Parts: sequence; structure tokens; C-alpha cells
Amino acid sequence: MNINMVLAICAALIITLAAPVTAWAQGKAAGKAFDAMARQPQISNDLRALLVLSLAFMEALCIFGLLIAFMLLSKIA
Amino acid sequence: MFSTEPIFSIGILEVHGNTLTTWFLMIALTILCLYLTRGLSVMPTTKRQVALELAVEKLLHFLTPFMGKRELAEQYFPVIGSFFFIILAGNYSGLLPGAGRVAGFQAPTGTLSYCIGLALFSMIYAEYSGFKRKGIHYLKHVVSPNPVMLPMNLMELGIKPLSLSLRLFGNIYGEEILVAGIFSLFPAVVPVPFMFLSMFFGLIQAAVFTILSATYVASAVGAE
Repeated sequence: MNINMVLAICAALIITLAAPVTAWAQGKAAGKAFDAMARQPQISNDLRALLVLSLAFMEALCIFGLLIAFMLLSKIA
Repeated sequence: MFSTEPIFSIGILEVHGNTLTTWFLMIALTILCLYLTRGLSVMPTTKRQVALELAVEKLLHFLTPFMGKRELAEQYFPVIGSFFFIILAGNYSGLLPGAGRVAGFQAPTGTLSYCIGLALFSMIYAEYSGFKRKGIHYLKHVVSPNPVMLPMNLMELGIKPLSLSLRLFGNIYGEEILVAGIFSLFPAVVPVPFMFLSMFFGLIQAAVFTILSATYVASAVGAE
């Protein structure tokens, strides 16, 4: 159980934990946006911009985890 | 994976590939702007001027909901619009052939130092706009709406540039690593969809950086 094993397992665990939660949250946001677009098609342009903005925020949190995983991977001897 | 030796040194400052690419992008954008704004007239007669007015109008219309009023968007448009175009150019420069391989050509937004510089400048510009608009009373914003919020507001001074820079850097650097990894497995047609994804995310991240900068400036200037 040397340090390389721990680093590799941790790097994999970060994405395993971060990606499904991000995907679920983004799917929920997109679903609500599509419901609203179906209810009122005339504002769908504004909704589309807001949806993309919200997705970018949630994506950024997953990307923070990805950066940590990269930093851990680079420390493997 | 990408070379990190400096290309040359000016005194004690080292110039790396991302700085050279930034200079090249700055010169290219300046020449483009000078070409587009030659011979403007009040009633547009050339297709060039119509296209330019369309682009500026669309960007202003896009930024107005985040800044509140149209006059605020027009007042701060020089800096915030420049953020959009330089980040867009920086993101797309990583997709050109030779980026990362040729010494001296590397996407600037794929390096952490450039992104931190952009985010710090955005933060400093927001504070500067707040001070210019409200004078010394701008300092009251750390205790608004309630003095209990003082630690949160002080922490935001550090968190905002950090999250802004890391969001941009992480997206662009992650896409670079992804495309490089796919390229090492399948050197032929397969990287192309991932490069399209990289183009899409590059546009999105430039827009998100612009929107957040506009929001920070608006929250520093407004709320009187």
C-alpha cells in the first residue's frame, strides 16, 4: 500500500464521486428549462441563455475536481 | 506534455509560449479592429460596418440583463467586450494546427498564470469602477446588507478571482488534455468531434467569464 496506489485510487475516486452528482444536477436544470420552454415558447431564447449559463456553473464545479485529479496524477512517481 | 521552457528572456522576465501567442493575438485583434472601423459613417453604407454594428448590438443586448440598464452596459462595454473577444480568441487559438507542438504557440487560456491574470484584472476593474462611481463610500459594501456578513464579503474578495480563473483554466486545459489523449490513441478522424466540443466549450466559457465580470461590475456600481 505505497503512496502511488493511494494517489491513483484518490484521483479516480474524485471523478467517480463528482461526475454523477454534476450530471444529475445538470439534468434536473435542463429538464425544468425544457418544461418552461414547452409551456411558453416565446421566451425560449432567454431561457436558453440562462440554461447554458447555469450548466456552465455546475460544469465548473466538476472541473475543479478534475484539476485536483490531474494534480494528483502528476505526483505519481 | 507541453513544453514549459521559456522561449527567450527579457532581463529577468521569461517569455513562454503562451505570452508569445497572446502578443500575436493582440496584434491580430488590433489589426482586425482597425480594418473594421475604417471609414465609418453615421448611416452605414458598407457591409463591413453593418456586420460590425450587428456584432456590437448583439453583444450589448446580451449583456444588458446582467448589468441592469442599457446605459451601464454601454459605459462598461469597452472592457467587458474586450474580455469576451480576447478570451474567445485565446480559446480558439488552441485548436489551430501546430498549437502546443510548435515552440512558442500555445493557447494562452490553457495556462494558469494567464487565467489568474485575467481574473485579477476583472476583480480589480470591478473594485475600481465601484470606487470611481461612489467614492470612499464604496467601502461600505463589505458590511452591507448586515455587519454579520463581513467575513463572507471579505472571503468573496479572494474566492471570486479564484473561481473565475480556475473555471476558465480547467475547461480549456481539460479539453487540451482530452484531445491530446484521444489523439495519442486515434491519430485520424476520431479527435474531430472532441475538437468541436472544445470549440463549443470555448465559446461558453468566454461568455461565462464575460457575464460574471459584468455581474461583478454591476454589483459594485449599482445597489445604491
